[in-house]
Amino acid sequence: MAITEKTPLELGPGDTARYAERPLGVFTRPQGGRGWRDWLSTVDHKRIGILYGASAMFFFLVGGVEALLIRLQLAAPEGSVLSADVYNQVYTMHGVTMVFLFIMPLAAAFANYFIPLQIGARDVAFPRLNALSYWIWLSGAIFLNTSWIVGGGGADCGWFCYSTNSGVAFSPSHGVDFYAIGLQILGIASLVSSINLIVTCLNMRAPGMTLMRMPVLTWMLLITQFLLLFALPVITVALFLLMFDRLFDAQFFNPDAGADPLLWQHLFWIFGHPEVYIIILPAFGVVSEIIPTFSRKPLFGYEFMVFSGIAIGFMGWGVWAHHMFVSGIGPISVAAFSLSTMFIAVPTGVKVLNWLATMWAGKLRFTVAMKFAVATVAMFTIGGLSGVTHSVAPADTQQTDTYYIVAHFHYVIFGGGVLGLFAGLYFWWPKVWGHFLNERLGNWNFWIMLVGFNLTFGPMHILGLQGMSRRIDTYARGYGFEFWNMAATVGSLLLAVSVMVFIWNVVKSKRDAPHLPPPGPDPWDARSLEWSIPSPVPTHNFDTVPVVHSRDEWWHTKYAEDDDGRVVRVATVEEAAQTGEATGVHLPSPSFWPLAVAVGLPLIGYGLIFNLWLALIGALVTIGSLYSWALEPVDDPDAAHDHHEEDQEAQEADDDGDEP
Amino acid sequence: MRKVADVRTPALARAVAWALMLLGAAVVTGCASDAELDTFAPKGPIARELHTWGVLPVFWIAAVVFVGITIAMVWLIWRHRVRSYEGDDEWPAQTHGHVPLEVGWTVGFLVTMAGVAVIMVLSLPTVDATEVNTVDVIVDDHSVEWEPTVVVVGNQWWWEFRYYFSDQVDLADLRAHGDAKTLPPADIVTSGQMMIPIGEEIELIITSRDVIHSFWIPALNGKRDAVPNRFSPWKIEASEPGFYFGQCTEFCGLSHSRMRMQVVALSPADFQSWVDDTTQDAVEPTDPDALAGLEVFSGICTSCHVIEGVNDDVFESADQASGAAPNLTHFANRSTFAGGIFNIYNADGSLNRVQLEAWLRNPGDLKANYTVPGEQYRGMPDLDLSEQQIDDLVAYLSGLGKRPAGWIIDATQVE
Repeated sequence: MAITEKTPLELGPGDTARYAERPLGVFTRPQGGRGWRDWLSTVDHKRIGILYGASAMFFFLVGGVEALLIRLQLAAPEGSVLSADVYNQVYTMHGVTMVFLFIMPLAAAFANYFIPLQIGARDVAFPRLNALSYWIWLSGAIFLNTSWIVGGGGADCGWFCYSTNSGVAFSPSHGVDFYAIGLQILGIASLVSSINLIVTCLNMRAPGMTLMRMPVLTWMLLITQFLLLFALPVITVALFLLMFDRLFDAQFFNPDAGADPLLWQHLFWIFGHPEVYIIILPAFGVVSEIIPTFSRKPLFGYEFMVFSGIAIGFMGWGVWAHHMFVSGIGPISVAAFSLSTMFIAVPTGVKVLNWLATMWAGKLRFTVAMKFAVATVAMFTIGGLSGVTHSVAPADTQQTDTYYIVAHFHYVIFGGGVLGLFAGLYFWWPKVWGHFLNERLGNWNFWIMLVGFNLTFGPMHILGLQGMSRRIDTYARGYGFEFWNMAATVGSLLLAVSVMVFIWNVVKSKRDAPHLPPPGPDPWDARSLEWSIPSPVPTHNFDTVPVVHSRDEWWHTKYAEDDDGRVVRVATVEEAAQTGEATGVHLPSPSFWPLAVAVGLPLIGYGLIFNLWLALIGALVTIGSLYSWALEPVDDPDAAHDHHEEDQEAQEADDDGDEP
Repeated sequence: MRKVADVRTPALARAVAWALMLLGAAVVTGCASDAELDTFAPKGPIARELHTWGVLPVFWIAAVVFVGITIAMVWLIWRHRVRSYEGDDEWPAQTHGHVPLEVGWTVGFLVTMAGVAVIMVLSLPTVDATEVNTVDVIVDDHSVEWEPTVVVVGNQWWWEFRYYFSDQVDLADLRAHGDAKTLPPADIVTSGQMMIPIGEEIELIITSRDVIHSFWIPALNGKRDAVPNRFSPWKIEASEPGFYFGQCTEFCGLSHSRMRMQVVALSPADFQSWVDDTTQDAVEPTDPDALAGLEVFSGICTSCHVIEGVNDDVFESADQASGAAPNLTHFANRSTFAGGIFNIYNADGSLNRVQLEAWLRNPGDLKANYTVPGEQYRGMPDLDLSEQQIDDLVAYLSGLGKRPAGWIIDATQVE
């Protein structure tokens, strides 16, 4: 669909929406609006971004409750909050939820919302596919969690779900079936979305927006999409084999039938390690936007930052077996993966120093967003360095599968990923909602979260080095684990408080917004294109598609450097920003079919587990919806929109991309 | 720029800084505990070398980098923080980067990591290289040159240790054999506690019969996974007689947390006398209670457990997912049971009758298991024994094998 046309199109008079009957469709074509039904059919990347974000925050609470249950169980020796069986389900679902249902979709929210805005596009390349990925993701997320109700409990094999423990003999409930099928559904969502966003980044950039002028957030998200594109097929294959093993006795992983249980580990970690970078790179991107803005300096060494991100993306494929140093693979394999693991620390270290160099000699303004961003750098540094300590394979034989590793990856994923995304929430909140998050509550949120985080995961370093194994549902007295476990539990309660403060902040900020001055297009004096348009962003994003002349285009619209290198203002925000008042911009038409396609997939899943007839019905729903989707015109012919001959050809070329 | 950020929380910030500093101090002091699984308290020569040359150098390197980056960051924040936004709309110099500097720290990191790589390569043999050594052991009055090897087999949720003296096996033999459920008959089959002679490097051949486990005695060496039907080499060595604790470290299902083990290092003489005791078949009891216990054992327990001299000639495999259950021939010679989690003896040396009886009443109450009738058992099921049967079984089992030395009982006292 033509969403990059240079001139806004006029709507004809009398453009009241008509609901036309579709001869082959079940649904009348939705026309767009502001009711709840329109959220079901929306193809607006911003709404889809908000849907991703809101759902991710919901699952953050779910995963958080699971985390609190874990911590309550482990607060004291011989804990009896959960049985061993339930504990195993809870810690498994905590990991799965936080990775697949919280951090990944929250990063997807940022990607959906901000990639088009940062590259000066009206939407993503394939808006209906974008809706499809969200609905598939949501259906997978719901499917996965219904195993608590209909599957006899959650999966109990850990998020890594090692064979042979994942076999029916060792995990007889349906939990692992839900895991195997649920993650496949979630994988489809991520794959669809990665292709969509890659095409968006490569094809939809505004005139003049060369790759090396793209904001670093968009760059990191682009790298993330490539990682998703290549990593998800691997885990999908593994999950498919597991599913067949469990449902149809395929014997892929049964050692008594000659299989090698290590096959699963290789497949899982070839996905699982790039997954770490899938989680962390978006946060790196967020931090790379916030630190320059609040240091009032451009990002130090843009090229190094971009290429170190790419280097991390590449090297991330060559380190997976460091999860398997003690699995019995040969010494050469161990040495090779140990080396590659060490050297991935180089581009990561470069990033950290470049962030510090960005702050150097800057004028640092510690808004809540900046506090979160700097904390991200600090906490990630700890996680990165503890990673270096167990990249030494022989040393890792003492540390792997202990709480030292739990501490390490929480410093990376929470300290790096989650704090980074919280920085992004505080930074872009005014852009998305048109009002600030309260800074005072934000300060409370930040400090309680930082202290709670360190109190929860800091002691785990000690516990691990004291020899506390991972994934144990309880521990005996006398090993010296008591004190630090209690400390970690207190810390986790603080984390819970900080999340409550955040939620209260969201509510209170919304309530207070009418009494406060609006943030305007560019409240932080920021640098990239999304700040050149009104807050909240109008449906059509840009009144006119911007022409880009330099990196940090928006900043250069406002400022220039004189001959002495001093910064002088050349335009005020009011002068330079777009008003968002353009009318009649031609936008992609909404559709219910992505939602309908997504509804079929969990039916297939339940069917495979409980009754194959149900799977057939699910397949019919999905295939039928895909068919109807194919017959539905990209643009609703009945929707009122006007002549756009000059764009006709370009539009048809774009349409080819979306519709086979 | 708007004033939204002009919110100060100095008191809070100061409190946080103090809390973090105290936490840091506590972290440093907390490492000095003497917990039994402490990885920073190596006791054997392999673990000590690994700790000194493999673990500590990279911890120091990481610590130096951490301190450097943290100082730089704190200084930057302190130095360049805008203290008042009022009237401060100046822009600093717009530095876009500095290629030599960036190349410089890229190379700096490369060199640092190359140093770490050297540490790694040099310390690999510490855990991997094996030395050829032999121990003279007398078995059934024959002197045997034993290449000290213990076959370690993981099961849900206990460890089996197999000693081959007369027909010694090595890694290649077992890899050729390929099946952990039908291992060649051994001279000693025990569980929960591995006895080793001091001053000798002991080769371990680690495998599993059901799911993946991981064998780890932190004081003696790092860990190695036990993968079903794969045979992986590992080694341990203790220089002092003593008791070394371990815990399964690869998630293995319901009672992963209650799958523990101990290595007992003995002087050569003590080790020889342990071999003398445990290579014998079980002796028929004389005590009437114990005889009744043997009766119960033969009727019920033999579907899973082996006692040499009772049912080893007819036993095929246990009614368990792993096909095995602990060999009880020298039950009373050990000091822990049920996967190394309960004491067989009290600290004063008396039989821990309460614990044994509780276990026989319903093992599932004490250790999570999966014993749904009609499905494959994992763990010991509730056998619905009468109190009389339980008393008889305790009488029988407590007479199986020689009571271990007092210091072992003393050192055990798990939980």
